[in-house]
Amino acid sequence: MTARAHRRRNALTGYALLAPSLFGLTCFLLFPVLVVLWLSFQQWDLISPARFVGLANYVSVLSDPIFGNSLLVTLVFVLIVIPIQTGLGLLAASLLTRGLPGSTILRTIYVLPWICAPLALGVVWNWIFAPTGGALNAILGTRIEWLTDPNLALPAVCAVVIWTNVGYVTLFFMAGLLNIPAHILEAAKLDGAGAVAMFWRIKLPLLRPTMFFVLVTSLISTFQIFDQVYALTGGGPDHRTDLVASHIYSEAFQLFDLGRAAVMAVVLLVILVAVTVAQQLYFRRRTTYDLSV
Amino acid sequence: MTSVSNAVRRPLRAIAIYAVLLLAAVVTLGPFLLSAMTAFKTPEQFAQQSSLAPPNPWTLGNLANILTGPADFGRAIGVTVLVAVFLVVFQLLFSILAAYAFARVEFPGRDALFWVYLSTLMVPAVVIVIPLYLMMTQLGLRNTFWGLVLPFAFGSPYAIFLLREYFRGIPQDLIDAARLDGANTLDILVEVVVPLSRPIIATLVLITAVSQWNNFMWPLVITSGNNWRTVTVATASLQSQFNGNWTLVMAATTLALVPLVALFLVFQKQIVQSVAITGFK
Repeated sequence: MTARAHRRRNALTGYALLAPSLFGLTCFLLFPVLVVLWLSFQQWDLISPARFVGLANYVSVLSDPIFGNSLLVTLVFVLIVIPIQTGLGLLAASLLTRGLPGSTILRTIYVLPWICAPLALGVVWNWIFAPTGGALNAILGTRIEWLTDPNLALPAVCAVVIWTNVGYVTLFFMAGLLNIPAHILEAAKLDGAGAVAMFWRIKLPLLRPTMFFVLVTSLISTFQIFDQVYALTGGGPDHRTDLVASHIYSEAFQLFDLGRAAVMAVVLLVILVAVTVAQQLYFRRRTTYDLSV
Repeated sequence: MTSVSNAVRRPLRAIAIYAVLLLAAVVTLGPFLLSAMTAFKTPEQFAQQSSLAPPNPWTLGNLANILTGPADFGRAIGVTVLVAVFLVVFQLLFSILAAYAFARVEFPGRDALFWVYLSTLMVPAVVIVIPLYLMMTQLGLRNTFWGLVLPFAFGSPYAIFLLREYFRGIPQDLIDAARLDGANTLDILVEVVVPLSRPIIATLVLITAVSQWNNFMWPLVITSGNNWRTVTVATASLQSQFNGNWTLVMAATTLALVPLVALFLVFQKQIVQSVAITGFK
């Protein structure tokens, strides 16, 4: 077989193998993104025909205080959830990597919520938070309206999400900590480093790649939280837990204002693409520590 | 190990550590146990006693009620299993084909295409749910089995990414040897690549099955009524329908969570590893 025939055969094989996924990707991922862009310039309620309105949806959404509030709530949510779950994960990981018996079982227990349906867990927590007959008030002997009190609703949703994610974060920090070569820790100990200095000056800097990975993946997934909000508060009370994914959903499927929902979707997409691109740029020139010595 | 001897030398410290870790385990498992207990209580007991009291008497009434009653949870379980099995098979099949092309076949535009595949990972579900809903409605597939599965049946970029990494680790010699024996690409895939990739394929089967069981937003949007709704959608609608009727609602969450917990108990090692490799979502 000549080289050219060989190449042609390879190209045919390659595209034949890719055909199904390329079809799926084009129809159900790339084309929908174009449709969202198109929709963002239309006014459409699914009943009367779609009408081109130029930038009207953009103007309306970007000057809408309720959408601004939704972005702000999402930001506050991210700023509460991520530091707490990262701190707790780091703490759990450092306690679980001391060679104490039972560490493996405990680690397994902590991961359980992460693989469970967020919607079902959200419903379970809705009951736990219930003012009458709820477990939390029974434990505390109170009758607090956790999910309908404007000051408590967002912290409650945050708590559920943190509860779900800590095990996942712990797992990555455990792997990171176990990857630190013993000789580095020994050397630090010989130099007289105490437990506190050891953690802040040696372990934490060496965990930087893990930390970065955990922060970026949690940031991206936290921005998209939907199920828990749907099950716990539906965005209320008074939009206090109106995270952006949940807001887009209700704009599209409860208010049927598809054009405005599309603009919000574009905003979310731009934010997440920016996060990912920033991460890639940072990754390219981040500091790593050579542990091979 | 020095850390063990540390713990032995300082038992107080070890006790403090265990206290923290066990408290965390109780907080983690508490909601599962309390909600399952509630599912087995009679509504009378739930109304009269503390919600922390164990079931007395135990009853299967709540479970039976939602499985066979108008909520028809039994049907929802059937639909969800069907969707999960269908997508495990087809998503994996088409992902394997694509991953092999990216890993082992030289063709023009390969790297650019791979980059396009990867970049679709950035697109959040809530962004494409709106256009997918419009498309499926146009095709007359709203509230049908095909509406549920079609958008996800042709492979997943994430699975393709993971499989490609794995396939690249397979020694080229094995593939060359098979080719010399007259095997074509399909033979090589079936006889060499797939058998050697069992661990990653098992991981992906678990991930796909679990994430389909857990999937909520798409089934919520594309189904209506009892016919094609999945377990999560049925649970959500039970919650609003039987608002405050917690023994029934907790029976629903128990049914939604029990298969996951069971899977977790059986495959805990593989699942923990899968989470560590892939993040699982």
